[in-house]
Amino acid sequence: MGRPDVVGDLAAHLPDFAARLRLSHGFLLGPGEVADALRALGAVNILNMHEVRDAWRAIFSTSPEQGRLFDAEFDAFFRFRLLDYPPLPPLLPQIPGGPPQEATAPAGEAQEGQKTTSPRNRGGEQLEAEALPGTAEGQAHDDPDAPETDLTLLARLSPHAGQGGAVTGTPADLPPLLRAARQLVQAVQLGHARRLVPRPTGRKLDARRTVRRAARTAGDPVTLHWLGRPRHAPRFLIVLDGSRSMGEDAQRLLHFAYALQLTARRVEVYAFSTDLVRLTPRLRALKPGQELTLPELGAAWGGGTRIGENLLKLARQERARVGRETAVFILSDGLDTGEPELVRRALRDLSRRAGLTVWLSPLAGVPNYQPIQRAVAAALPSLDALLPAASTADLLALPRRLKNS
Amino acid sequence: MKDIPEAQALQQSFLERGYVASPALSTALRLVEALGKPLLLEGPAGVGKTEAAKTLAAVLGTPLIRLQCYEGLDAQSALYEWNYARQLLHIRAAEALNQDIDDAALYSEKFLMRRPLLQAISQPTPPVLLIDEVDRADDAFEAFLLELLAEWQVTVPELGTLQAVSRPHVLLTSNRSRELSDALRRRCLYQWVEYPTRAAELEIVQARLPGISQNLARQVTDAVHTLRELPLSKPPGVAETLDWAQALVVLHRDHLDLDALRTTLGTVLKLREDWQLAQPVLEKQVSR
Repeated sequence: MGRPDVVGDLAAHLPDFAARLRLSHGFLLGPGEVADALRALGAVNILNMHEVRDAWRAIFSTSPEQGRLFDAEFDAFFRFRLLDYPPLPPLLPQIPGGPPQEATAPAGEAQEGQKTTSPRNRGGEQLEAEALPGTAEGQAHDDPDAPETDLTLLARLSPHAGQGGAVTGTPADLPPLLRAARQLVQAVQLGHARRLVPRPTGRKLDARRTVRRAARTAGDPVTLHWLGRPRHAPRFLIVLDGSRSMGEDAQRLLHFAYALQLTARRVEVYAFSTDLVRLTPRLRALKPGQELTLPELGAAWGGGTRIGENLLKLARQERARVGRETAVFILSDGLDTGEPELVRRALRDLSRRAGLTVWLSPLAGVPNYQPIQRAVAAALPSLDALLPAASTADLLALPRRLKNS
Repeated sequence: MKDIPEAQALQQSFLERGYVASPALSTALRLVEALGKPLLLEGPAGVGKTEAAKTLAAVLGTPLIRLQCYEGLDAQSALYEWNYARQLLHIRAAEALNQDIDDAALYSEKFLMRRPLLQAISQPTPPVLLIDEVDRADDAFEAFLLELLAEWQVTVPELGTLQAVSRPHVLLTSNRSRELSDALRRRCLYQWVEYPTRAAELEIVQARLPGISQNLARQVTDAVHTLRELPLSKPPGVAETLDWAQALVVLHRDHLDLDALRTTLGTVLKLREDWQLAQPVLEKQVSR
């Protein structure tokens, strides 16, 4: 294939490729990016497809996650398109409003990956749950009379089994969740900002502005300017346990995190099961009033529970961002298949940096609840509070309980 | 000032200066000039994002102008300030001599102190402008950058609009301590810089420390990659690898043994908890 043919082929397919990225994966691409991609062909060796891919990745992607998606799509689209092969199915479900695609993921796979809330799917950490006398979770195991399916056996054998799934639906109680979020934002106050900004009054003289103003009055500082510390808008770091054992609570707490993000400006949301995923960009991408729909979350939803490993990963990822103005909320039942030592390490690291570290557990609302789960017991010394989150009422009571704790 | 060479030639030029750039990074840097767009480099701390800008400036033979971002950085601190003390002296001197104070003279280039951004657009030849750790700056400053990066001109109220003499090659770095706006991301090319592979890191160590023994370089690289697999709070970056290797060279070691490990581990691990976690693992690896 000669050079002009390659250029022609690439240029001809470029708009389709950009549209595919936009519609299948939500890339924010417009004519400007496509024009840049065409111009980039003049700056790279177009006979080297790796170089073309590197150049277009730099133009089209804006995050490492998008970069990985881009690579997979580029390989699937161009390697086969140039040889007249049919395109591969999209990596993610279609976003609403997009045109129908040629192929979609097999229905069976999607259903298997879907998060279900039946008690059967809450058995991932059942051995530990059995050791919790007096807890609802301890009685929420699989029905012993029901026949064990292959899925149940897999879930019992492997912490990774049964993982994945999409999250859809907006609960009827979103308004109270929004109210709870608003109250929480108002209740959490983590002091004043460190930096000084111009204020009408303050403790420190703003010498620069005062002297500058003095230049207008022949060098006499007639008007004094002041610097003060504004109130800190707390930054919320929400870590949601999306494992099977959380059942319906995971859905409700995810909606609470979503409500918090609608209410406050600085909110980071992560979900974990056996792996950790950052949900913030996906939640931010939702339009007001749009149903909360998250595509396949893979190992971060509906699988087993690795609290310690994921909290350590979180502490590492968020290391530079967690400060005295950060309120860390861990939303988990504490039923873990990992090492409690890792939980201890991660919580110690997070709580040393954060202004507030709170564990919200759906189990903590059960009468006579004892925090004896290994993960919770390991985390307890580093927590400012361990509070229940079994219902919307619990979430509404959160500010009051935080105040009293 | 030279033009940015082709991606492969650029990669070779970087290598000659001790920087092992991936093909993807070389291509992205090539596009900085071809498309005239800024490049946003993201990645873990210590993977060489800042160093990439320094090396690019060295390759192009052009000055590097660096703006270190921090919380509270405002546009004025990044662009220009008036030398108030000199202005006041000028006023006092004029008063003493019974002269009129001319506003135009008071707000002239003589009293203007150029900060990095204004410096960068005032250069006769395009410099490399490094806007380091842009995620540490506030939203307001980010919004200001959008305007500057789009128009390449700034307005100083007392002087008027200053248009860029030459358009700098702009590199922004971020450690993702704050999510940058989509608007800024869309105006930039994007490259994620990951920790190098074992082979690439070995190449970096040998390129930066030509005198190091092959055995020691390999042992240090292996040990660092072992460390990165552990759940450390602060995994070592490439800079730490080089520090460690250099410390061992300075101590005249040609291989990593238990004694050398215990003596120099502080150059690569900076937290007590990380040290406690990693030391037994590394000792086991070194003893084999």
